[in-house]
Amino acid sequence: MNPIFRKLHWMSRRNRKESDLRDELQFHLEQEAAEASDAGLAADQAKWAARRELGNIALLMEDTRAAWGWASLERSCQDLRYALRMLRGNPLFAAAVILSLALGIGANTAVFSLLNAVVMRPLPVPAPQSLVQFTNTLPLWETAANNWNGLFAYPQLENFQTHSKTLAGVFAGTGLGRIAVGLNGTTSLARADAYTGNFFSVLGIAPQYGRFFSAADDAARAPVAVISDAFWRARFGADPAAVGRTVTVNLVPFTVIGITPREFLGTSAGNCPGLWVPLHALDRIAPDARRWTEPWSTWLQIAGRLRPGMSLQRAQAELDGIHRRFLSDALPASQLAGVANVQRFVRDNRLALRGAASGMYSGLRDLYAFPLQLLMWVAGIVMLVSCANVANLLLARASTRRREIAVRLALGAGRGRIVRQLLSESLLLASIGGVLAVPMAWWGSSLLVRMISTGDSPPPLSVDPDWRTFAFTAAVSLLTGILFGLAPALRATRLDPGPVIKEGMRHASPSSHTLDRILVVAQVALSVVLVAGAGLFVRTLQKLRNVDTGYDRRNVLMVSVDARLAGYPSDRAGAVYAEILRRLRTLPEVKSAAASVVRPVDDQFYLVDRVNEIDGLPLPAVDIIRVEWNATSPAYFSTLSTPIVSGRDFQPRDNESAPAVVIVNQSLANRAFPNQDPIGHRLNTATIVGVVKDSYYGGARDQPGPMLYHPLFQHGRDQEYRWGYVSFELRYRSPSNLLDQVRREVAAVDRSLPVFGARTLLAQTEESMLTERLLAMLSSVFGALALLLASVGLYGLMAYTVARRTSEIGIRLALGARPRRILWLVLRETFAFTLAGLALGVPLALWAARYARSMLFGIGAADPVTMAVTVAALIATAALAGYVPARRAVRVDPMVALRYE
Amino acid sequence: MSIAPPRLELLQGTLDLLILRTLLFGKSHGHAIAKHIQRTSEDLLKVETGSLYPALHRLEARGWIAASWELSEAGKRAKFYRLTPQGRKQLLAEQSKWETFARAMGLVLDPLNQEPL
Repeated sequence: MNPIFRKLHWMSRRNRKESDLRDELQFHLEQEAAEASDAGLAADQAKWAARRELGNIALLMEDTRAAWGWASLERSCQDLRYALRMLRGNPLFAAAVILSLALGIGANTAVFSLLNAVVMRPLPVPAPQSLVQFTNTLPLWETAANNWNGLFAYPQLENFQTHSKTLAGVFAGTGLGRIAVGLNGTTSLARADAYTGNFFSVLGIAPQYGRFFSAADDAARAPVAVISDAFWRARFGADPAAVGRTVTVNLVPFTVIGITPREFLGTSAGNCPGLWVPLHALDRIAPDARRWTEPWSTWLQIAGRLRPGMSLQRAQAELDGIHRRFLSDALPASQLAGVANVQRFVRDNRLALRGAASGMYSGLRDLYAFPLQLLMWVAGIVMLVSCANVANLLLARASTRRREIAVRLALGAGRGRIVRQLLSESLLLASIGGVLAVPMAWWGSSLLVRMISTGDSPPPLSVDPDWRTFAFTAAVSLLTGILFGLAPALRATRLDPGPVIKEGMRHASPSSHTLDRILVVAQVALSVVLVAGAGLFVRTLQKLRNVDTGYDRRNVLMVSVDARLAGYPSDRAGAVYAEILRRLRTLPEVKSAAASVVRPVDDQFYLVDRVNEIDGLPLPAVDIIRVEWNATSPAYFSTLSTPIVSGRDFQPRDNESAPAVVIVNQSLANRAFPNQDPIGHRLNTATIVGVVKDSYYGGARDQPGPMLYHPLFQHGRDQEYRWGYVSFELRYRSPSNLLDQVRREVAAVDRSLPVFGARTLLAQTEESMLTERLLAMLSSVFGALALLLASVGLYGLMAYTVARRTSEIGIRLALGARPRRILWLVLRETFAFTLAGLALGVPLALWAARYARSMLFGIGAADPVTMAVTVAALIATAALAGYVPARRAVRVDPMVALRYE
Repeated sequence: MSIAPPRLELLQGTLDLLILRTLLFGKSHGHAIAKHIQRTSEDLLKVETGSLYPALHRLEARGWIAASWELSEAGKRAKFYRLTPQGRKQLLAEQSKWETFARAMGLVLDPLNQEPL
């Protein structure tokens, strides 16, 4: 028989074997006794001699059972049975422990799921670790020390494709941004990417229906499109007949040829396009012949797959050479050859490959990777605090089980055996907690995704648990089980059975309480870190909200309209926007309305330019002013309540035929015309007609800099500016139905004009603080949880101390101690623990806060207010946690206490 | 001399060998095996019951001996062990290993009394 089967067979006959063994030994005894009586002993004496000769029967049987094999498995089953029995015996204790563990593990898993989805989850393609993204670094460029950029020119792509020998495939693409998709006569907005024909084949994924485009499709007209699973479900109701249908992208027709698999969410975390078209489809959507030949216009993201066995370093060395040869060859032919900055750019530029196993550059990842890592730490610390609590509960229970353990030790159980059994109990608790944590984590992570989604729809992130999440949960559960179980188990078994059994359950020696004191002090210290962290993030959010942005964010609704999406050429778009603005101003609920290219706190883009000339005089290179600019309609400033400091606002007469005018902000005025009135002076070719108060261009974190405003309806004239979409800002009296009225007015101009990005300025501002809000909210929840756990820990310790010292307190009271003194006696000890925790926690918090400094705003890492509030909060919590046991101590009846002895 | 302490690794193998060798003569129950070893070793080896039964069960678990319940000489139900073919092979291997070991020990401890090869 095969050894394993034999053992299984043995196992199945276990009970039979027990009785067999007893019979066998019984037979041995009888034989032995028979022999002894043959030798002349009396019958009962012979029996005793046989018994003596056999020795310790229990030990003999135990040794024999060990010989059956599988003893360790059997012992584990036994441990588990005991553990279950213990839990059933103390359901309240078990429920408390399991619930707190499930909460802790669940919170950790939820944060981990999101971190996994945003940062770690590899693309669902074969061998994702061999994917690389091309970046080029710009050392010494601008101001950022480690500036890098992921954009390349089309001729560079061809150059890489021709010369690279280290890559098995190079693909490239670009986002088309927001596009209008027409299907069956209705138009909706979607995002689309344009990628080279080998995109899907290099990634190595297969369509769930139809086919993907190939190099052959990526030719002159390229009239095919691949759609995402989400788009297919939303627009085609998951009908496989979608393949072959025609959709329009900005009115240009495409045939749907395939649908991506459900798990494929694009190559950039949190940003899945609805459609992919071949790169050369750009010739029909946005014709620009120069993009294929211009070596300095960088617009493509490039990625590739390493040949099998090829290292990233070797590929990078090869590609860096190709890249730099290309730049130095292209420089002499360029008009920019003489510009110092360009020469420096060519000389210093280096190509670097980044591993793209979990996708290409993602703005979402950039934004959230660090905050999520911070939250992971926070959640981990909460877990530690809760472990300490559970450990304390177990310690307290272990002291009530001292007698049981002492008896077992006295009966010959090995210490290892008892530790094992106690650990089994903690691991069982942790495992049940872990199992309960899974659904909690699922709910929590989808909640987190909703929290980081900006308005319209949640980002396409897959937070479904994968093996990483399960491995994480299992590891955390196991680790916590060992963490909170090991110390109590070791301590419980480190005792001398004799005295314990004699003394009964009354006293525990004082030395055995060092451990729970250490645990409580550690809890307080870790809580300090979390509460201080929460304080810092909440104060950051407060500071951000209180920033004077230079405009009034209340009662402003913004909507965007893109005339291009309805097929208007750029020379007619301006008139469409002017008509919409005119109609919006007639709405009864609208106090004033304006339009602009960039909206306040824009999350889409911002515009930069340079002022080279003042009053007709060219500025020396060092004095050229980098400005941010916007183009605004008349009444923009009054609509947003941005004060005009001097001069005038734009007027309807500042049109295409009028002389060019601009408005500057105070920063630009002070920079270009220190101590002068700038009105009437000229910047570049435009005359300054007004000065407005500084306002925040992007989020509240950006300090306002020099800013230039052009009149919206004049701006198209001289410059190479093509009308894009514009944002309308409406200051309203009442927001009810306003959006519907706006849609009606826009539709009255042209039914096919889509309205998007409808949001109040307040909401947009809040969204720009999303990471700060996420951090503030979650760290507050976790901080409060830690505080609660620490206070429970303190309370437990003090309640236990009071119970242990009942007789001492009774004697003190009997001898005339005043109740206040007793109260203080208990509170003093509570405060001693708290102060010890603070002494450890405050430096720890200060140290940890430096790590999070980049997420703070308006306060330092060592913010004294935060620290003071933290310390106060901890002391208040301690007072509360200590007061209840202290009151109980005061109420001790001396007579009862003394009789108890 | 007695085989003690029972849990020493080195001597455990020895007891196994003695049991297997005893069973070469035919099936036998635990008590008889112990007596047989004691008798044939001229009472130099006394088998502790505390290690005999674990050893028997261990050998049975390994498949070297098999057990069945039969009636003893005195007409009582007893557990009889007998050698399996596998156990016979094991016995040969163990025996030659033991002999080599014993010879080597002899050579080292008392080199003069050994015949040169």
